[in-house]
Order: sequence, then structure tokens, then C-alpha cells
Amino acid sequence: MVEALSLEARGLTRKYGGFTALRDVSISLSRGEIRGLIGSNGAGKSTCMDVLSGRSRGTGSSGTVLLEGADISALSERARRHAGLARSFQKTNIFPELTVRKQVELAARKAEVDNTEDVLRELNLLPHAERRAADISYGDQRRVDLALSLVGRPKVLLLDEPAAGLTMGESIALAHMLRDLAERWRLTVLIVEHDMEVIFSICARVTVLHLGQILAEGTPDEVRGNTDVVKAYLGSAAA
Amino acid sequence: MSETSNLSAALAEAPMARRGIAFPVTLALVAVAGALVPGHIGSALLLTLLTQATIGAVLATSVGILIRQNGLVSFGHAAFFGGAAYIVALAAQSGIVSAEVVVVAAVLVPVVVAFAVAFVMLRVSGVAFSMLTLAVAEALHELMMRWRELANGEDGLPVRLPSTLFGLPIATFQRPETMFVVCWIVLMALIAVLWVLSRSHLGTLTLAIQDNEERARFIGYETLVPRAIVFALSAGIAAMGGVLFALYNGFVTPDVLHWSLSGEALVMAIIGGARTLWGPALGAVVFFFLRDAAGSYTEHWQALIGIVLITVTVALPMGLSGAIVLLASRIKGGRNG
Repeated sequence: MVEALSLEARGLTRKYGGFTALRDVSISLSRGEIRGLIGSNGAGKSTCMDVLSGRSRGTGSSGTVLLEGADISALSERARRHAGLARSFQKTNIFPELTVRKQVELAARKAEVDNTEDVLRELNLLPHAERRAADISYGDQRRVDLALSLVGRPKVLLLDEPAAGLTMGESIALAHMLRDLAERWRLTVLIVEHDMEVIFSICARVTVLHLGQILAEGTPDEVRGNTDVVKAYLGSAAA
Repeated sequence: MSETSNLSAALAEAPMARRGIAFPVTLALVAVAGALVPGHIGSALLLTLLTQATIGAVLATSVGILIRQNGLVSFGHAAFFGGAAYIVALAAQSGIVSAEVVVVAAVLVPVVVAFAVAFVMLRVSGVAFSMLTLAVAEALHELMMRWRELANGEDGLPVRLPSTLFGLPIATFQRPETMFVVCWIVLMALIAVLWVLSRSHLGTLTLAIQDNEERARFIGYETLVPRAIVFALSAGIAAMGGVLFALYNGFVTPDVLHWSLSGEALVMAIIGGARTLWGPALGAVVFFFLRDAAGSYTEHWQALIGIVLITVTVALPMGLSGAIVLLASRIKGGRNG
């Protein structure tokens, strides 16, 4: 049986003046799939996330984004969140002055499901719940960022380098937790990550971007074995 | 840890503050104590100064709440303060509606205007926003200065009121010993309302938007309307100050719209500290008494205010109220430790 598509993007293009950061990128994710999006710096990964999440709209952006079959291309980032598309950011993007609980509750108020306690527990944030986010460690702040995206059980989660700045041990733990959560909560996840350990351990399929275009797509083994990918990006990580 | 972090932690972690008991209890005690002040002060001069300071405290609170909830510095709140005072003077002069309606309208009109203009003004932030508020207030000041047929230009207007207002003899609003109590009740009530607001969803949301507007959008919030509500609320508080001023003073001139009044309100908020709800009001009291004391020694009292402002900005960036909260938390921490 063919799984229904959860997220589908057709012909995504993003131009900044004369420079094309993303060129005719199409990508489809089945429900419950964890897809890796990799590529060297400047390949267009974050731009792709921005276009998908609605951060980058209007002049210079084109293409169609479908969320469970519904066209959300014209929607604002706020409306996309309501439709079930959530994202985290490359740079920690939280509310430093609010306590961890307060900000997760704030996000939950806009969602259909209030799973604040579940999210805090799953992300091991309960011990820090009453502390100001500015006063907790960087690793915990990354998890708060993730919590803000996970609360309300979105249909699709866009994660932009969730392991950035974490130690190897923290990255592996994060990867396992993400896989576990995605499976239990039937989340569709598109994850941008430089840590290939994370990507290859949790993703069923991987899409490789290079100079704003799709270079390859396939299972981790297929991607590892693709000579163009190895040449352009993976190098020793493929070994 | 920076002083800002220390203060935030002190404000957030005090057990009584968490339970939400400390503030309303303290406010109630301060409110009662303040209302009893006129009975213990014989000097009419001191009572006049206290009444003026309390009206100034209302204006400073309006500026402070905008800084606290929206992170915006207004150089033009005299427009709402003076605008309300002029509405009272002009409408009372026409005599078309009752004085009670005039007073209510004088508060509501600036609220509605502020809410509408917020959708333009709040699209800019930082210095651009401050300059925009300054420009609007100055335009209104110039209008009142030059429109002699309407507002009698720089000569100003008398506020003609009936013999009673809201069932109280009009003298209640014109004698310092009774007007101080009226102004004090208004100030305490405003701080109580702002405390409720700060603990409400709107309070948390506007703090979150100030903290990280983009993230607020990405968790599904519209970010302009909540900030416009705070701006309108702030304008309404400034307008209440203007109404009290018009009732007490009995005369309005374009000075109530001048940028220097907006600047003074900002100085009061900075001296007192805008991170606490009561800081700007404290700053206003300090400002008025300092000005009065300095004014009796030199006509260059502004220099002394300037020195105090520099000292507070450098040594106590969170203002006097911030220093008091930190000190109280350290004393408490010392006792517990």
C-alpha cells in the first residue's frame, strides 16, 4: 500500500536578486517518514526550510507546497503552523526571558492538542521547567527550541540542524529520541543536519542538495554509494 | 550573571512572587498608607507637590508599560496626556455633553486613536519608533499652538467644569488634600490592573513577542494586534494622567503636548526602572521631589536631574526599583542561606 504524502513541494525556487539560492527543487515525504536533507554550506538547505515553512515568501520565491494535499503556498508562517507545519531553527530560536514551561504552554495555547507535559517529559525538560530559558545550558535551550516545535503534535516537523553545537553523545541521544518520537507520534520529519551519524541513523531516505539543486535522493546506502555525492559533499563521511 | 539576569531571576524566583501573594498584598498596604497621607501632612505646598508627582506617576507608568511589555521607548506620550487634557477643556467649554461623558471620552478617544495608529507605528521599532512618536506629538503641539480659533494658541484654555463631577463636588478635584487621594486611588488601581495584565495570556504573549517576534509567529501567533493593544492601553493611561491634570490645574496650555513632557516621563521611568510595574511611579516621585529641592537652590535644576539620570543609567541600569528588588532578594537569600 502506498503511504499518503504528508508534505510535498514542487518546483521550489528562491532568488535573491540575480542569485538563485534554490532552483526547481521538488521533494515528497510520506506520512511518518524521517527524511534527511544534506549538502555542503550554501547548498540551499536552510533556504529550502525557509521556503517550506513560509519564512521566505513573496518576491523571489516560487513553487508549490502541499501539506497533506492542501496547498499552503500562499499561507503565512503563522497559518502554516496552524495547518500543522512546525519548524525549529539553525540558531536557537526561543524566548530567553520566559520560563521553559511558560513558553511551551504559550505555544500549546495555539495548538489543538495541549501536550505540554508530554513534550517537557519526552525532552527531559521537566527539571528545568520553572527556570528562565536564558539561564539553562545551550543543549537544554536546543531542546526548548525543539519543544516549541513539537508542542501541539504538528503533522510535519522541519528541523534545521537540531544537533548544532551539541556534543557527539548529545547528538546521538537526540537522534534516538527523534526517531522514537516520530514513530510514536506519527510525525513526518524533514531534518537538515551536518552530523552524518545523526542522518544515517534515523533517516529512511536522504535528499542531497548541491548549489541549490537536488543532486541525489535515496536510502542512506544509495546516497553513500553515489559518486557525485561523495565528490560534492560526503567525502570521508561516506566511508 | 548580568544585573538584568539577576533581576529577572529575583522577580521570577521569589516564592511569594510565584504564588502571586506578595504584590497585591504590598500594593494594598501601600494604597491604604498613601490614602492616609493627607491627614498627616499640614503643608499645602507638600500636598500640591505630592498631587503633581502622582499625576506625573500616572504618565510615567504609561511610558513604563510600553517599555516593559512592548520594548518600545516613546518620545511622544505627551500627545495622549495633553490630548486628553485638551479634550476635557474643549468639550467642557462647548457644554454639549455632560462632564462625566467628557472625562470618559477624553480617555477613550486617545485609546482608539492609539490602537489605530499602532498598526502603522508598530511596523517600525527602536529609534525609528521613538522618532515617529516624537513627530506625531510635535505635530499636535504645533497644531494647538497655532490654531488660535480652536484652542486659543499658546495662551491656552480654562477648563470650565460643573459644580459636581461623578457625584463629587468639583472642589474635590481642585484641592490638593482631596485630589491627591483621587490621583493616588487611580494610580494604585492602574498598577493593580497592569499586574493582572502582566500575569495574563496577553502579558505573557507581549513579553514573548518582545523577546522573539519571529518565534512568536512560528508558534502560530499574530504579533501586531497584541502590541497594538498594549500601545492603546499605554495611551489610555497617559490620557488618564491628562484628565487628572486638566481637572486639578483648571487650565491647559500647549506645554502639556510639548516633547519635554514626554522626555520627563521617560526620565521618570528610567530613574524608577521600567522592569517593575511600580518603578516608573517611584521614579516620578523621586523626580518631582528632586526637581523641587534642586529648584530652590538653582534655576539650573535640569543639570542635577541629568546627573541623577547618568548615575542611575550607569550604576543602576534596572533603575531604583530594580535595585530595591535585587537588594531585597539578596537580604532574603542571605537569611535563608
